[in-house]
Amino acid sequence: MSQHYQAPAPRRRQQLFRPDEPLHGCGLITSLDSLRSHLQTAIEIEHSTIPTYLTTLYTINPITNAFAYQTIQSVVMEEMLHMTLAANIMNAIGGHPAVNTNDFIPEYPTYLPHSDDAFLVPLQKFCKDTVDVFLKIEKPAHKFVPPEFNNYKTIGQFYKAVKYGLRYWDHVTPGGIFTGDKSLQVTCEQYYGGGGKLTAVYSLSDAVLAINEIVGQGEGMDGTIEDPDQVFFGEDVEYAHYYKFNEIRHERRYRPEDTANCPPTGRRVHVDWDAAINMHPNPKMKDYPVGSPLYNKTLDFNQSYMRLLTCIHDAFNGQPDLLMKAVPLMYDLKYKALDLLNLPLGNGEMAGPSFEYVAI
Amino acid sequence: MDHEYDVVLVGSGIAGAVIAKTLTQAGKRVLLLEAGLAAGMALSPEPSYANYQRYLETFYSKANKATNGPYPDLPDAQSPDVLQIEAKTPYDEGYLVQNGPLPFASDCLRSPGGTTLHWLGNVPRMLPNDFQMKTLYGQGVDWPISYDDLKPWYEMAEYEIGVSGDVAAQVGPDMDRSNYGDDYVFPMKEIPQSYQDQVWMKNTENLSVSLYGKDYNVTCVSMPQGRNSIPNPAYRKTGIFWNDETKRLELAGDEPGKYEVVGAIWDQNTGNRCEGNASCVPICPVQAKYNALKTLKKSDHSKLDIATQAVVSKLLVNDTTGKLDGIEYKVYANPASPIYTTKVAKGKIYVLAAGALENAKILLSSNAANSSDQVGRNLMDHLVMLMWGLFPEKVYPYRGPGCTTYLPTFRDGEFRKDFAAWISPLDNWGWSWPTFAPGSDVSNGLAAGKFGKALRDSLADTVTRQALLHFECEQAPDPNNRITVSPQYTDLLGNYRPVIQYDASDYMRKSFEAAKKVGDQIFAANGIEDFTDYNPSDADYVTWKNRGYTFWGAGHIVGTHRMGSSPADSVVKPTQQTWDHDNLYLVGCGNMPTLGTSNPTLTMTALTFMAAEAILKQLEA
Repeated sequence: MSQHYQAPAPRRRQQLFRPDEPLHGCGLITSLDSLRSHLQTAIEIEHSTIPTYLTTLYTINPITNAFAYQTIQSVVMEEMLHMTLAANIMNAIGGHPAVNTNDFIPEYPTYLPHSDDAFLVPLQKFCKDTVDVFLKIEKPAHKFVPPEFNNYKTIGQFYKAVKYGLRYWDHVTPGGIFTGDKSLQVTCEQYYGGGGKLTAVYSLSDAVLAINEIVGQGEGMDGTIEDPDQVFFGEDVEYAHYYKFNEIRHERRYRPEDTANCPPTGRRVHVDWDAAINMHPNPKMKDYPVGSPLYNKTLDFNQSYMRLLTCIHDAFNGQPDLLMKAVPLMYDLKYKALDLLNLPLGNGEMAGPSFEYVAI
Repeated sequence: MDHEYDVVLVGSGIAGAVIAKTLTQAGKRVLLLEAGLAAGMALSPEPSYANYQRYLETFYSKANKATNGPYPDLPDAQSPDVLQIEAKTPYDEGYLVQNGPLPFASDCLRSPGGTTLHWLGNVPRMLPNDFQMKTLYGQGVDWPISYDDLKPWYEMAEYEIGVSGDVAAQVGPDMDRSNYGDDYVFPMKEIPQSYQDQVWMKNTENLSVSLYGKDYNVTCVSMPQGRNSIPNPAYRKTGIFWNDETKRLELAGDEPGKYEVVGAIWDQNTGNRCEGNASCVPICPVQAKYNALKTLKKSDHSKLDIATQAVVSKLLVNDTTGKLDGIEYKVYANPASPIYTTKVAKGKIYVLAAGALENAKILLSSNAANSSDQVGRNLMDHLVMLMWGLFPEKVYPYRGPGCTTYLPTFRDGEFRKDFAAWISPLDNWGWSWPTFAPGSDVSNGLAAGKFGKALRDSLADTVTRQALLHFECEQAPDPNNRITVSPQYTDLLGNYRPVIQYDASDYMRKSFEAAKKVGDQIFAANGIEDFTDYNPSDADYVTWKNRGYTFWGAGHIVGTHRMGSSPADSVVKPTQQTWDHDNLYLVGCGNMPTLGTSNPTLTMTALTFMAAEAILKQLEA
């Protein structure tokens, strides 16, 4: 049988700056130190979703659930990009990103750091409830919501507050605040393949571009369903996280003419909700007797995760080349997570990765 | 498909993909006929990902990791299989009918993407002297074009494949900065040389070896590769375009820092850097390694029709006009069934890009393009002599891609009058090639009664010390090394199978003796305990001066329809148009008059861009 194919047109990429809102004299964030601590929160927010998305990703089969797998994988890679962008902004204003401390990993299930505690983010298998939580995480802000750095409803609100803080403190500080050591920046030499181009941050306009990328990839820009790479980098049309997850939830693709507040109406996609590994939700090391094989394997997984975080920490703090060495650690982590997910607990459920702080 | 195309193209390997992309982007309408499965042609994210994951699962599940292992075996469009090469001729149980006296030892892949799915990805250029073997060394033939003629096309090929490498390091006999030009850089920085290579280099760089009374200084050079690395900010090219004004194909762009790494076909964000999985042959898990589907995907798909599961059986030659009137092909629904429908494709120009074996087979089946009687002749390969041993220290093979360093020392010299030149890649795959390690190390350990910790310890001790050095000896063209067809040998669809007559000449056998003498000195300098074992039961075991040597195939299937300056002794012109039919072009390694000591894909890709320009000129005339 002969078949004909229509592949997408080749992508072109160009970088365009976009006019942003005028400078607001907004001093919600009341000092440069406070601004830095909010950027640390930004890093923690971005990180907090990664164990959740990764755990769910590892419970499904990349072939039989190809659409859901590729969608979740693309989102988690973009979260890694966001975490790195936040670290770049932090370094650009003379702060010190910290990703290896004992309270850096939240205890799952967790509220999003500094959020309004409206919902818990768990480590659990792929299912409709899980995707509903993902939708809450990535829920878009209204265009006119106020900036909110604490008790925010949406991540967009939080970043709006950070953006205003950056503008304000750069404006009122003699010589500006973007005086950090340029060699600390992670650039697209070290960071690649993470869904969008990594911006090194040397100025306020770089920082604003970075924040718009973070918010836009998660929630979409200004009521559109497309992520801002369209606008900024001219990548293939790719929908923002919320809308990607909504496609899984509704088992349908969006059509370009669909609007943001309606479900997708495009072609159906195959999602096999029942084909997930039945992982026990939110596993903990303390669930297992110390020294038992399950305990040891979970400990081993957590040590791998700490090695990875330590590597990233060092990359964010003066050794950006180390980021390339994080790649094999990420594979190591995946293989160890899959090992755990293949271990039955005896009650019909399987073990799974627990993402807990351990000393290494 | 009853309408006429500008070009009907056969094969979707790198040569076919380059033609399809270049011509459709220039606005020409192309029909591409591909013998392999429809599933393998998927270029959009979900189906291409799902198909590639199936290749990977097959690879992981097979005990033997041979070159074509991950890919479907199609009775209706068979590929040669290195596992079917046996130490006996005649032999006709595989796809190839091996009439000998030696079996031809290489395979290729008939599949969407062609052999680039399993290629290694080494892309050194040929040397200027390689183009003048007859004039300089009295061997083989000269090319009808020079290195300088090919140089701009090499740059195009290096852009298209996405070469990672260090130009400044490319120094050796007949090779230095002037081969490339003062400011030239590859699109991406070099892949880091492996830890194992660093150990090799300690005692091999600037080692003096003696051969037949002459001393040679051995050096180690980083290998240019078709796999992704960090973009070189100094690289200035941005694309290949047909210039309608000048009627030239141009490598355009003069802006540094704009090179875009080409990721996996299913996701631009996957495979942006080589991850060192070390399974390059037969399959890169993340498509950091170039494959032809990446090029094919860049075609203008509004101008491209692709027919898969479409096996070409015959060229329809019009005896009056001397032109082709069409290409007959057989379309199968089930690859294991003899049922097919016959169709005819028509275009203004026809291009065969099916590989050196299939191109020759199709021409011979159709009695086409063969007034010189050269079709099917001069079949060549690199004859690979392996040496393996154990390092005194752990060198940890399998870290990084298959090869990151090569020894250029014997690629050129006066000795080429006497015996074949070779390139020596340092291999990063332990003893996997000669002994099927590390699987065989496990079986041997078990057979010796080891298990548990004792087995693990012995593997940790030996597998980590395994050294492999190899010598890719340049086979000289020989009209008697050839493919023919015979009604006696056909496949399930009634198409001919290649019947091969093949031998290794004295010129080759002497190079094995020479290479072994050099290898012995390199092993000694590195303290490597030699475990090399050439056995008369090996498929390609030969003797020279009462000593035995075994060679393996390199998968570099070259010759069979060579390019030349006269219709009397060649099949295609330098434009790669056949001498006999002005609407038939041949592309691929079959056009190469001699092989040099380079892996041939880069040179063939450069030639294919030349052919694409010639085809566009003819279409516009």
